[in-house]
Amino acid sequence: MSKLELENVSFVYGKGTPFEKAAVKNVSVSFDEQATIGVIGHTGSGKSTLVQMLNGLYKPTSGRVLFNGKDINENKKDLRSLRFKVGLVFQYPEYQLFEETVEKDVGYGPKNMGLPAEEIAARVRRAVEFTGLDLSVLQKSPFELSGGQKRRVAIAGVLAMEPEVLILDEPAAGLDPAGRETILGEIENWRRANGATVIVVSHSMEEIANHCDRILVLNKGELYKYGTPKEIFGESERLSEFGLEAPQVTRLCNLLREKGIALPRDIYTVDDAFGAIEAAFKGVGADA
Amino acid sequence: MAETFIRTEGLCFSYKDDEGRPILHNINIDIKRGEFLCILGRNGSGKSTFAKLLNMILTPDAGKIYVDGVDITDPGLTEEQIMEVRRKVGMVFQNPDNQLVATIVEEDVAFGPENMGVPSDEIRERVDRALETVGMTEYARHSPSRLSGGQKQRIAIAGILAMMPECIIFDESTAMLDPHGRHEVMETIDRLNEMRSLTVIAITHNMDEAILADRIAVMDGGRIVMDGSPAEIFSREEELTAMGLGVPQAAMLANRLRRAGMDLPEGLLDERSAADAIASAINARKRQGT
Amino acid sequence: MLKDITLGQYFPGDSVFHRADPRAKIILGIVFIVAVFLADSPLSYAFLLLSTVLMIAVSRIPFKTVLRSMRALIFIIIFTSVINIFWTRGEHLIFEWKFIHIYREGLTFAAYMVIRITCLLCGTGVMLSYTTSPIALTDGLEQLLSPLKKIKLPVHEFSMMMTIALRFIPTLIEETDKIMSAQRSRGADLSSGGLIRRAKALIPVLIPLFVSAFRRADDLAVAMECRCYHGGEGRTRMNKLHFGLADLALTLAFAAFTAGIVLLNKVPLNVFN
Repeated sequence: MSKLELENVSFVYGKGTPFEKAAVKNVSVSFDEQATIGVIGHTGSGKSTLVQMLNGLYKPTSGRVLFNGKDINENKKDLRSLRFKVGLVFQYPEYQLFEETVEKDVGYGPKNMGLPAEEIAARVRRAVEFTGLDLSVLQKSPFELSGGQKRRVAIAGVLAMEPEVLILDEPAAGLDPAGRETILGEIENWRRANGATVIVVSHSMEEIANHCDRILVLNKGELYKYGTPKEIFGESERLSEFGLEAPQVTRLCNLLREKGIALPRDIYTVDDAFGAIEAAFKGVGADA
Repeated sequence: MAETFIRTEGLCFSYKDDEGRPILHNINIDIKRGEFLCILGRNGSGKSTFAKLLNMILTPDAGKIYVDGVDITDPGLTEEQIMEVRRKVGMVFQNPDNQLVATIVEEDVAFGPENMGVPSDEIRERVDRALETVGMTEYARHSPSRLSGGQKQRIAIAGILAMMPECIIFDESTAMLDPHGRHEVMETIDRLNEMRSLTVIAITHNMDEAILADRIAVMDGGRIVMDGSPAEIFSREEELTAMGLGVPQAAMLANRLRRAGMDLPEGLLDERSAADAIASAINARKRQGT
Repeated sequence: MLKDITLGQYFPGDSVFHRADPRAKIILGIVFIVAVFLADSPLSYAFLLLSTVLMIAVSRIPFKTVLRSMRALIFIIIFTSVINIFWTRGEHLIFEWKFIHIYREGLTFAAYMVIRITCLLCGTGVMLSYTTSPIALTDGLEQLLSPLKKIKLPVHEFSMMMTIALRFIPTLIEETDKIMSAQRSRGADLSSGGLIRRAKALIPVLIPLFVSAFRRADDLAVAMECRCYHGGEGRTRMNKLHFGLADLALTLAFAAFTAGIVLLNKVPLNVFN
């Protein structure tokens, strides 16, 4: 049994109205533990709805969301404590900051958990450190920080609850390349240190390819596949049918294969591509 | 050589409430009419501040800016002259939600010409034409709130086009869009630049957008630190990485293969040109070998 | 879900109501309201009801849609009916039990009241909200009020504010929804406890919402300035308002309607006998 599972989950918006729309259709998956899982899909494929069902913000129209084998929607009263175990960071989370100081804002979640003051303070520090911020920001107002710093504070606010599963919707949206890499790296470090599971929604195939152990692909609300990057990007033609582009190196290697150069199908990082192409190049010499 | 459309001389700027730390140092740049210039830099490099100076949203501390020969830093500029500068240099912003004024698409597109006092019949024509150019004619009577991010940005572009600009500045206009929306907007920008010989200044930190430009100016710490064609700029991978920028994966791979001894030309920025070059390098070796 | 609320109930179409000038519709809307209150006899009420049904039919707005918008006000309708039924004293007692007395007059008044409110809402709804886009409405209002500019009232600014408010309401509703979900994910309990506790729990929602509204306002102001906005002076409009055939037809129809109500008030028909 896996910690977090979806069992035939469907979600319909505006049921019974003229605007009725099925956002998620009969999805079953059991998420790997202590892994980074990427969720990809075209806009409107149901990614956001899916992740909001995982922490009980949305209740499936049918099917069950299981956490430690128990249906999270069985008892409504338990949902609040579930959200401390399944943390969710929304897109552009810096827009939800509200406290006078960074310390209070990051401590909002732990405070809601009813933890003692010392424990809250310790967690706030740990979380802020994981996001690469200097502890001197703690007494500052979150509103006077730069955009990238605000983003980190907002993520720290969820890390401080020390969830067992951390879900992030586009955590790096709008950041520059170095900012993106740093934030994703920090989340990865946090995951390893806490033995947690991270589920990350992203539009960037390059980042998903570089950071994820497992990938879940949604197409129009249906689960296309849940598998390793090799399995997913090994069939990159299928992805393009769903309006998803494989990483640029994968597309480049596909073009090379079309030109008759023998390369494996499942290349998805620059390192792999470099190794394979160099081998093909040197191999030509060796044959001769 | 095309004529200069925008020229800055010794441009400096610092925010007043900051500790006097300059945001822009001594920016000197010539932007030609019809050019597609990309200003590339990481967050906080000063690139957006630069854009806001060109459009008179901010006033520089020192230096001059000429737009089509007019010194827009001149404090004696009349209201009409200011309006004329804003008409000539339109701006599309980052957040698609925060720049549309009206509750109906075509009313929003009409907003600029209405402010300029264009006669009603002509506004109608301009609005129809602008919507057609961005491919949003069928949404003319829709409410913007139900459109996708990419569609909203195309409406914002149409709103600027209806003012008959000579230059459009895109201030990170694709940063909040998904890949599909980004593609929609980039394709529109590229088409406008080619079809209408509109001067385009795209401010971004996205490499895939930068490769479409004729010329890239890289900003770092409030200065222009590199200025050249995409091929030139992206061959300097290490410097870019050190500045917190990156290069497209195709360029990264090509640069590594070149260092490993493969004979590849400079300027391989997209997967197609890179694949062609790599394939011919491998095939050339094959022919040599046999 | 907050998202499901639809605001600005404009229903695009091509009926005579859609084609009419918003200024005419505002004035005729006022005429309609006055006429509704003039109705004073069973016949004129019947005529009123019939006219309203006819209006909806002509506007080609689905009846279901119009009636659905009444849902929010069902409580007021029931409340006023109940008051009328139980508190009206008359001559014809038809039901009596302990302290409850129901007179026929009470029932009649209640029925009148229901017809009056329903017609008022449906009629003005068809004229001003279903067939008139918010922007046309604010334009119409601006022009009708434009004589007030002479006494330095900021009529243009007022209508601009209305337009922007209408434009941003859906955006801010969506935003509120998102902030609430985000705070709930951090353990905010927005739906239990007493009034004070609930009000306090809203702080984490309201502060980000205001910050965001100000940020948007700031962005929008810059964007408007870049699009040459400099107040109402020297501004032209794409859609000039002009009085046309549709307006003439509507005006005549409404004149006939008002006359009908007034005349039917005078026709003696006593339902009480």
